[in-house]
Amino acid sequence: MSVIMHPRPSPIAAAMYTLRDLDVGVIVIHGPSGCCFRPARLLERDGVKVVTSALLDDDFVFGSEGKLSRVLKRVDELFKPRFIGLVGSCASMIIGEDLKKAAKEAGLLEKTICCDIHSGSGDNTVGAISVLREATAMGIIPPAEFERQKRMLEMATLLEQTRGTARSEYIENSLGDPPKEVAHAILQVLASGGKVACVLNAKKETAFLYADVVLAIWDASRKLGGKLQVLANLDPDVGLPRVRAYSRRILDRFSEDGVVIDSITGGIDEYPVSGIKAKEMILQSQPDLAVISGIPHAVAVENAIRTVAVSVGSRAVANLKSLGYDYVVGERDAHQVSLGRNKRIRRSLLGQAIREGAGG
Amino acid sequence: MKSIAIYGKGGIGKSTLASNIAAALGGRGIKTLLVGCDPKADSTMNLLGKRIRPLLEIMREEKRPPPGGFTMVGFNGVVCVEIGGPEPGVGCAGRGLIIGIRYLTEVLDLKQFDLVVFDVPADIVCGGLAVVVKEGYAESALVVTSDEFMSLYAANNLCRGFMSISAKVGGVLYNRASERGKVYVESFSNKVGLPILGSVPASDEIKKADRVRKTLIETNPSSVASAALTSLADSVYKNCFCTIPKWIPIDDLEGIFHGDA
Repeated sequence: MSVIMHPRPSPIAAAMYTLRDLDVGVIVIHGPSGCCFRPARLLERDGVKVVTSALLDDDFVFGSEGKLSRVLKRVDELFKPRFIGLVGSCASMIIGEDLKKAAKEAGLLEKTICCDIHSGSGDNTVGAISVLREATAMGIIPPAEFERQKRMLEMATLLEQTRGTARSEYIENSLGDPPKEVAHAILQVLASGGKVACVLNAKKETAFLYADVVLAIWDASRKLGGKLQVLANLDPDVGLPRVRAYSRRILDRFSEDGVVIDSITGGIDEYPVSGIKAKEMILQSQPDLAVISGIPHAVAVENAIRTVAVSVGSRAVANLKSLGYDYVVGERDAHQVSLGRNKRIRRSLLGQAIREGAGG
Repeated sequence: MKSIAIYGKGGIGKSTLASNIAAALGGRGIKTLLVGCDPKADSTMNLLGKRIRPLLEIMREEKRPPPGGFTMVGFNGVVCVEIGGPEPGVGCAGRGLIIGIRYLTEVLDLKQFDLVVFDVPADIVCGGLAVVVKEGYAESALVVTSDEFMSLYAANNLCRGFMSISAKVGGVLYNRASERGKVYVESFSNKVGLPILGSVPASDEIKKADRVRKTLIETNPSSVASAALTSLADSVYKNCFCTIPKWIPIDDLEGIFHGDA
């Protein structure tokens, strides 16, 4: 069995994002202070407090449930959260620390969502599923919603293994195609009266960035002509309250700009299945160009239609190129750009290039 | 300076042998250091008559204690150190051993001793417990076993571990020896390619000495068991044999007891 050698998303980070989606007030990582530093800082921009139990070598040797218990109590005093998310780390889980015991000793078991995972637990979705399972057991989300989300996460994992960055043992970094060049190709189709399918197939808050591509193409089409088919996974009745609110905000903004959506392909957390639906619709309508933003590899039309893929991460870009998408634009780190700023659409590189190309 | 690490099944008498070997050699003027590596910190009790405060416990309060803060001189001038570790069921003893041994060898010049004995807990069940031989703090390991099946099973497992980390072993120490069981240990030793460095009979006197927290070398130096322990100590100190052992499949090990030896 080959080893995937390039860096992969961590189950700890996935657990933290899911805890944020559940609107916990504080996330406690039971680990060293540097554990998952970058996602922690990003999530703090989103209003979630993230702290660690700041484990040191002594704590690994002698155990640190007592220290964790004290941290939980202190966090409760300081921030008075409705719920606390408690996530393991490699070090604490390997030495067998009992998260629930520490929460119980702190008198906070009933408000603490304990997640016994670490970076070696497997796919990153394992972390998200673990949080959701615990939240279901605590009555925070209904069992049916857990089952739906679990199915989506398992499909997302399969998608990564078959068409994503988990499909090869090593993927090089790539910057992708220059946004100006890609914008020019899109504008040419519109100006010649062709049909462009605009597909938003995004996950979580990154939808606020990728939605900008749809808005830019819509504006350009009004100036230059051409036909548009807009497909978006923005069902406002699917997912956790936070995720539904994302969809509503983006739909409101589309509505303000007069964007007409031909089909809502699913919810924001349904990108593996909404991608399949989008694929079917594109193959049926046969546009001259399909511009797919977010998780383009979930929309497997690259061998049937001329395509533009818009995504994030230099390895994702390289992977999309090797799958056969004609143009691939690598946006700036979508989480970095959109986290904590999800009240409005963020400007994307490609959107900007399209606007400039279309005359501002 | 000669350095050895003593391994074997839990409860097989490693600490008893280690402290008696150290006491016997100390009595001959051989400058000996006994390093207890078990979190229970009980290896040196029979030389000191009491439990010494373990190094890791001291390091929690004082990051870099001087050697005088964690060493004690026991019976026959044997210098004693306990690495220590977590309470049962928590933390990581292996990690503790890595930290403790690294610090010990950094601040205490082991070359001042003629012999350094590391008394290591149980099997090498994790990388941490293997560190003593893996990182070369001990030149070679010694395997303590009785003639019971489970003890030889553990000894065989240790040989497997030593083979996988390419650690050298000096031989087998046969504890609780009996005429009837000797054949099993001899057969095992032949199969894994290790010599038996000596044997110590099952002895009530050793148990009695243990109960008063002393070595038999101290309480009854003229006893038969004491003579066996002294002979074993000499053999360990003079032994120059060192090899990476083999290990044998379970069927072969069972065969030893079914008369296929």
